Amino acid sequence: MAVQLEVFKVGKTYLIPVLDGVSFEVGEGEFVCLLGPNGCGKTTLLRIISGLEVPTVGHVRLDGQEVRPGAQNHVGMVFQEDRLLPWMSLEDNVALVLNPLGLEGVERQAAARRYLRFVGLQGFEEYYPLKVSGGMRQRAAIARALAVEPGLLLMDEPFASLDAQNRRIMQEEVKRIWAETGKTILFVTHSIEEAVAIGTSLIMFTARPARVRERIANNGKHDSREVIERLNSMIMEEVLRQP
Amino acid sequence: MTNVSPGRGRRWSDLLHLPTLLVLLAVGLVWEALSRRYGAYILPSPVSVLAGIGGILRSGDLWRHTGASLYRILIGFGSALTLALFMGFLTSLWRPARTVVHDVVTILNSTSVFVWIVVSLIWFGLTDLAPMFTTFMITLPVLAANIVEGVENVDRRLLEMGQVYRLSGPERFRAIIIPSTLPYLVAGMKVGFGLALKVSVVAEIFGVTSGIGYIMNYSREILATQMVFVWALVMIGIMLVTDKLIFEGISRRVMRWQYSLKSSRWARPT
Repeated sequence: MAVQLEVFKVGKTYLIPVLDGVSFEVGEGEFVCLLGPNGCGKTTLLRIISGLEVPTVGHVRLDGQEVRPGAQNHVGMVFQEDRLLPWMSLEDNVALVLNPLGLEGVERQAAARRYLRFVGLQGFEEYYPLKVSGGMRQRAAIARALAVEPGLLLMDEPFASLDAQNRRIMQEEVKRIWAETGKTILFVTHSIEEAVAIGTSLIMFTARPARVRERIANNGKHDSREVIERLNSMIMEEVLRQP
Repeated sequence: MTNVSPGRGRRWSDLLHLPTLLVLLAVGLVWEALSRRYGAYILPSPVSVLAGIGGILRSGDLWRHTGASLYRILIGFGSALTLALFMGFLTSLWRPARTVVHDVVTILNSTSVFVWIVVSLIWFGLTDLAPMFTTFMITLPVLAANIVEGVENVDRRLLEMGQVYRLSGPERFRAIIIPSTLPYLVAGMKVGFGLALKVSVVAEIFGVTSGIGYIMNYSREILATQMVFVWALVMIGIMLVTDKLIFEGISRRVMRWQYSLKSSRWARPT
């Protein structure tokens, strides 16, 4: 399996160290969940991988290319909030991010409709974001992230603001999307159950400053209950370690 | 605001504000009584004011003076709007410009209308330019403050989204910054235009020979008090018409995404 994403000794210090030498690799087509105590720096790491921020030390390579702000990183990102433009229809929201890819207007709209249909939003193309449910908005955000046909799909607690029922539905949806597209997904979550339910590989971080504590394969060979319990006790240890 | 569904459920009685009409009727009656008590020079009767309105409608004075005032307002207000938009554009590109604009706005806001009237009389003499310049100086801070506030309040998370998806500068401006700023702009224009109308007529007292301010002052000089009231009503009328027809229309168009379900690119705005 080819390495698609290489995170190498990445450190980030704002006023205090947030990330302290985080290293891991993600292979093509993997579905990796990042876990850790709240506020340990998972989001910061995702922002560095997406090119929004620069690491203080270390580097990130995507498809062999070093990630830098302003560089041509090819990632799709789903944020915790949908971050759709409320004044544009769902279709126009998706079509907007296809502009930089140099597609013609008609092609853009067609691609946007295709991806909206793929996430189950057929018939809602012309709706304004505020007029559909939170789950549907998050689906549109996923369609937008997929539409740029990224090498890597980054998801930062995308379902945190959904209710339990919608979260379950969306977890299944992401699994389906992963299975159908074969995309590499990096998924930040604070829910161990969610991570175990969807990820093929789970990376547990330490409390701040974050380091990789352990990486667990979640390929169905282990009893999920056992994995959940192990992760739970790790989280408890990390939380208690926090000053 | 979100639950307003324009066009539906609005009955004529709601539109006419029936209770307000009743109060106005009562005010009219008291007005008539007071007019009889103190005489037409101090307080002309409502009937004579209504007759005056008929008079200026027939003579065409209504359009002549209203047109002259509106022309000056549009030039002064329009120039202020242009400069304010430019300032907003600048601050969206270069953050330090915000502090400068803030400070300038604070200084302009603390300057009395009268200062600008006197200064413009010194600079431009008894010409059209005097009320135009006064309007410009008074509406500029209101418009600039609103636009800059709009630019400042653009959701950073949306800008970040634009960054992740590598939207170009002009694209970010068109898709994110302009639509976020529009509601502030419309609100500023609404307040600014009202201010422009009030200020420009004061400036018209001096030097010019047309316009609502001029004719009101002239009416006072020739002791036609009822005409002062007539023109006051004309001003109120202009305010109501621009507010209800123009600015409410614009603001509904701009905020369409809050009211309507679907974006209908081809349909007329609701």
